Amino acid sequence: MSKFKRAVLRIGLALIILLIFLSVYGAFIGAERAKSFFNSLPLSVYWITLILLLIVGILVFRRLIRVPWLLFIHAGCILILAGAVWGSQAGLKLQSRLLGTDKIPVGQMAIFEQESENRVALENSDQVRELPFYLKLKDFRIEYYKPDFLQVQSRDGKSWNIPVEINTEFSLGDNIGTVRIVRKFENFKIKIEGDNRVPCDDPQPGFNPALEVEIQSPDGQVVTKYVFERFPGHIHAEDGFLLSYKRVISDYISELQIIRNNKVVAEKNIEVNHPFHFGGYHFYQHSYDDQAGQYTILMVVSDTGVTIVYAGYLMLCVGVFWHFWLRHIFKVKKADGD
Amino acid sequence: MEIKYTIQGLSIYIAIVAYLLAFLIALLGQKKVRRSGSGRAGHTLYAFGFIFAALSFVYRWIDVSHVPLQNLFEVFLYLGMICYPISLFCQRMLRVGSGCGDMLIGAIVLFPAGFIFNAQPQRLPPALQSWLFAPHVAVYALSYIFMAKAALQSVRQLAGKAFNPDEKLLPPEEATYRMICAGFPLLTLGLILGSWWGKLAWGDYWGWDPKELWSLASWLVYVGYFHFRYMFCKKHPRINSAWAIIGLVFILITLLWVNLSRLFPGLHSYAT
Repeated sequence: MSKFKRAVLRIGLALIILLIFLSVYGAFIGAERAKSFFNSLPLSVYWITLILLLIVGILVFRRLIRVPWLLFIHAGCILILAGAVWGSQAGLKLQSRLLGTDKIPVGQMAIFEQESENRVALENSDQVRELPFYLKLKDFRIEYYKPDFLQVQSRDGKSWNIPVEINTEFSLGDNIGTVRIVRKFENFKIKIEGDNRVPCDDPQPGFNPALEVEIQSPDGQVVTKYVFERFPGHIHAEDGFLLSYKRVISDYISELQIIRNNKVVAEKNIEVNHPFHFGGYHFYQHSYDDQAGQYTILMVVSDTGVTIVYAGYLMLCVGVFWHFWLRHIFKVKKADGD
Repeated sequence: MEIKYTIQGLSIYIAIVAYLLAFLIALLGQKKVRRSGSGRAGHTLYAFGFIFAALSFVYRWIDVSHVPLQNLFEVFLYLGMICYPISLFCQRMLRVGSGCGDMLIGAIVLFPAGFIFNAQPQRLPPALQSWLFAPHVAVYALSYIFMAKAALQSVRQLAGKAFNPDEKLLPPEEATYRMICAGFPLLTLGLILGSWWGKLAWGDYWGWDPKELWSLASWLVYVGYFHFRYMFCKKHPRINSAWAIIGLVFILITLLWVNLSRLFPGLHSYAT
């Protein structure tokens, strides 16, 4: 092996070891700071050096060109790094200067039900930018796993998970008594009727799921309690039990329309794991109005560089599997055939 | 320490005991008797343990109604199940044996499932409801077993374990290399599937999350191993072995420490 080749390999190994240390350091400082750290100027120099060294390696080591799968592996790494640099904030700024493109890198947009919106609040900035089209939120909803549960914990540490079925009595044992769920509220409110305060399910926008529960002690005494999903652990001094209302979210769904020149050009339901790709951007279900469920918050991400990164993934994967697995399998099969 | 008084817990304990007995019998067979009978008995017990580990995994799958790879309990149950088929595959197809080591790995990975991690069934949160969930975790877990076997071979290499050419098995240094060659594509695929899934679920294929960074560091250790071994071949077998052992240490940190320690809060906390 020539001195130059040896030097390239040594530098390559040194860069790998350095990246191991940097990754470990990044893991200790948390995702936000790690993101800034790995996008900083010194690290940008590192990434560019790594890309250049990979290119030099391919040119210098003829084996990397002769053996296509090794070429796939190394070229795949180059594409991944190049795609990441191209799609980074610095990359987008460079494209803006060189090519005149002007894309929003990452941001968020809040859309109220039945309203259209095209403004995007940029991440880590006070700036608001506009998309060249509008998104209309037809509906936002949260879906839950069935059944819901009423959790009962006694003061001596016993606990029960009771499926929410209206008017079904559940025994907590002969010494404790029974529990019956009388009513379920989606938006619990108290209204005043004369001198009385009456609980009701308010049809106005709001989000306060609750249960009306009757607890009957063995001596026949009945106590009515209200259990709120959003205020768990609420207990009075005289209560024998801690009651909680548990629901598990199965999905967040935003029903959207894309409007361009006052025409609906696309429709899509966005869910977690099911983003929407349109006009050079990916739209993700990010958050929602947890007070009243009236608006959704979408994350808007530019798709610049993603295709290059995915092409790199594919090449790396094909190269690695072929080089380490498939060529050996074919060799064995060929030997068996001979 | 949490003892599980359930059918599932019982089957895990039977599997652990079977793996441990298989290990002891195989160990005694290697050291003293060298009779084929003890080898067969050890193997039978190992297979018996696998059946119970598999039963426990299937039971869990039916119980939770999704592929049980959501939390550490389920992942360790899966790891305990796949030890045996991987061991068999390595012995017969790759000429890599580890004597009684594989049985010990099986017992070690089942132990936390049986005694430490909470087995309370959980529903899948929206972020985990993806077709990429099962392959991402399953592929990673498979690679971890290969890498654990590689580290075991490295320990044999470092311990100066005499190589018996009659065994038709590879010597430890070459066996380490072969195990890493078998596990590395899976480790790469796991990383890529995770990245792809991250893009679909969180909007970015790389979020600089502690778990992502530790898994990248683990992958890079094996990349370093390949480059080091290419540079020096077998001139420094002890350093080659050290790479493999460091790789496993990084994997353990990725799998356990990142999820269990409060030092690394991140997007992967639901796996705890």
